[in-house]
Amino acid sequence: MTVTESPSLLVAGIGEMVISSDPRAHLVAYGLGSCIALAVWDPRARVGGLAHFMLPSGPASPGSPVKFIDTGLDTFLDAVAAKGALLGRCSIKAAGAAAMLTVGGGLAIGKRNAESMSNALAARNLALVATSLGGNAGRTVQLEVGDGRFLIKSLSSVTEL
Amino acid sequence: MTLTLSEAGQSVVAGTFGRAMKKAGEALGSMSGQVIEVQTPMLQRCSASDVLAMAGGPESIVLAVYVGITGSLQGHALLLFSPADAHRLAQILLAGLLGPGELPMKSTADPLAYDELELSALQEAGNVTISAFLNELGMHLHEPVQPTPPQVVIEMAGAVLDAVLLDLVSDADQVLAAKTTFSEGGRAIDGTLFVLPRADSLRVLLDALGAIGI
Repeated sequence: MTVTESPSLLVAGIGEMVISSDPRAHLVAYGLGSCIALAVWDPRARVGGLAHFMLPSGPASPGSPVKFIDTGLDTFLDAVAAKGALLGRCSIKAAGAAAMLTVGGGLAIGKRNAESMSNALAARNLALVATSLGGNAGRTVQLEVGDGRFLIKSLSSVTEL
Repeated sequence: MTLTLSEAGQSVVAGTFGRAMKKAGEALGSMSGQVIEVQTPMLQRCSASDVLAMAGGPESIVLAVYVGITGSLQGHALLLFSPADAHRLAQILLAGLLGPGELPMKSTADPLAYDELELSALQEAGNVTISAFLNELGMHLHEPVQPTPPQVVIEMAGAVLDAVLLDLVSDADQVLAAKTTFSEGGRAIDGTLFVLPRADSLRVLLDALGAIGI
């Protein structure tokens, strides 16, 4: 299994989100460390969204709509719903939130990101069906809109979540 | 925190960082016994995405030596190499310390597999290089600037840098990034040094350099 380039490759850069109803679209977030990617996919509407969150909380940032989980999650979920997805039947998965550095207290932002995401989803009566969180390895993630496959690529492996 | 720097102020900071990065290159050259060329440093205020692009893109694989900066100036410093260049630099460093028969042999074709001695040598190279930068910068400040112990990470550049960037962008949209490239002409070893000061300690540095109000 490999992460392949799609004719419709949409990249969620740091603090950005991508949403598509094109069944050929592959939504990608590259090189996640402590950041956390949230993938939302509606199997009936065939709509998918991928957001590359940076931090647990902070003021809304127009240039980076999903920079913060607390102020960006609704923006992301609303945008996915506006594309035709019904959030209640969506498969929701998360990856990232690693601890890459151990010196200087470890900059333990990854752990806080994972906790914030779980809490923020629970507050909206939504739950993660699968996760690849924590550890100390970087991840590139890819959501394939046509079939909902969510791939996690590290330096040593590619796995489907 | 946002500080507005005049063109003259920016020039003072860039000049100081340039001299410090030259010292860092000289320290790396002295340790490796090679002549290291230091590219004119780039100092710019930029977004997190820009920093990742400057490092070759979030998915490019790097060997990074990370050193935290503490004391009167706070922030992060990283020395990045491609995996192949890191191997070459490690061999040069170890050749100066060990006899020919003692050099670690590359046991696999995996470019991401490093001998423990290689990692130790690269960690020390990063430590010496970044410490030389901080020592030069510390001469302009009234209090010491201290490095944390170095850490070597072999990873996607985005994964290494995002931990650092997240620490910097919680209350700012942009970071001040200083970058230069070291080259060893004959063996083509390129390394990139990033220095990313925290916004809340930047004023101390700018004050000390007289870069505010000119």
